[in-house]
Amino acid sequence: MKRRSFLKNTIIASATGVAVSAGILSPSMALAAKHGDDPFKSKSVDEVLKMIGATAAEASDKIKIKAPEIAENGAVVPVTITSKIEGTTEIYSISSNNPTPLSAKYTFGEGAEASIKSRFKMGKSGDVVAIVKAGDKFYTAKAAVKVTKGGCGG
Amino acid sequence: MAKSTIKLRTKVKGDKVQVKALITHPMHTGLVKNKKTGEKIPAQYITEVLVEANGKPVLTANWTGSVSKNPFLSFNYAGKEGDAIKLSWKDNTGKSDSIEKTVGKK
Repeated sequence: MKRRSFLKNTIIASATGVAVSAGILSPSMALAAKHGDDPFKSKSVDEVLKMIGATAAEASDKIKIKAPEIAENGAVVPVTITSKIEGTTEIYSISSNNPTPLSAKYTFGEGAEASIKSRFKMGKSGDVVAIVKAGDKFYTAKAAVKVTKGGCGG
Repeated sequence: MAKSTIKLRTKVKGDKVQVKALITHPMHTGLVKNKKTGEKIPAQYITEVLVEANGKPVLTANWTGSVSKNPFLSFNYAGKEGDAIKLSWKDNTGKSDSIEKTVGKK
């Protein structure tokens, strides 16, 4: 019996050890996501998600994306992303069909509302994907935008 | 001195302050060709925008060439009249600019 409980304890201890090292991993991933590194240069949405560690992002209706359904001019697409998720620290904006899909990353400081309005270029019709980071978790939402005139070409 | 590339507006809305900024910048992706010469226009875009209120960062934006020309930015933060707002940007060619303003004053 004693031997059994001893084994049990070691297993629990090693499991927590793994959890801790996983915890250590996430800040380093956050560092890797800083600008100048790859996520901003990657060519596909999946790659971006992998690099920022958001592959397991949950769809959430607490994220609102305000974007035009039809954008006449792809060079200027106004997009507002608002997150009602508590503890939102970062918002990523991804234009799925752009040569480099990750367009912007916003990091919010103390007191800032997790809502951001800016304008993006979109080469083709596609989804605007928002990735929101709150605590250690990622949430996502998307909105389709139809572009009648691309904004990435000459 | 050259005219500032940044237009910054602040507005007090209850216990919040709305910050709006317009930056004059070409935001070249590096993918567009010059129609006359057929040569690619080299990439030049803003990589980082930092907004500070009373010395504390309230918003950091990391941008790419996918952000529109003459980028516009708007957000709110919990603040009050008299806060010192500073906005600064850097681009990939090493250029930068910054502006300082007091909330509530034109």
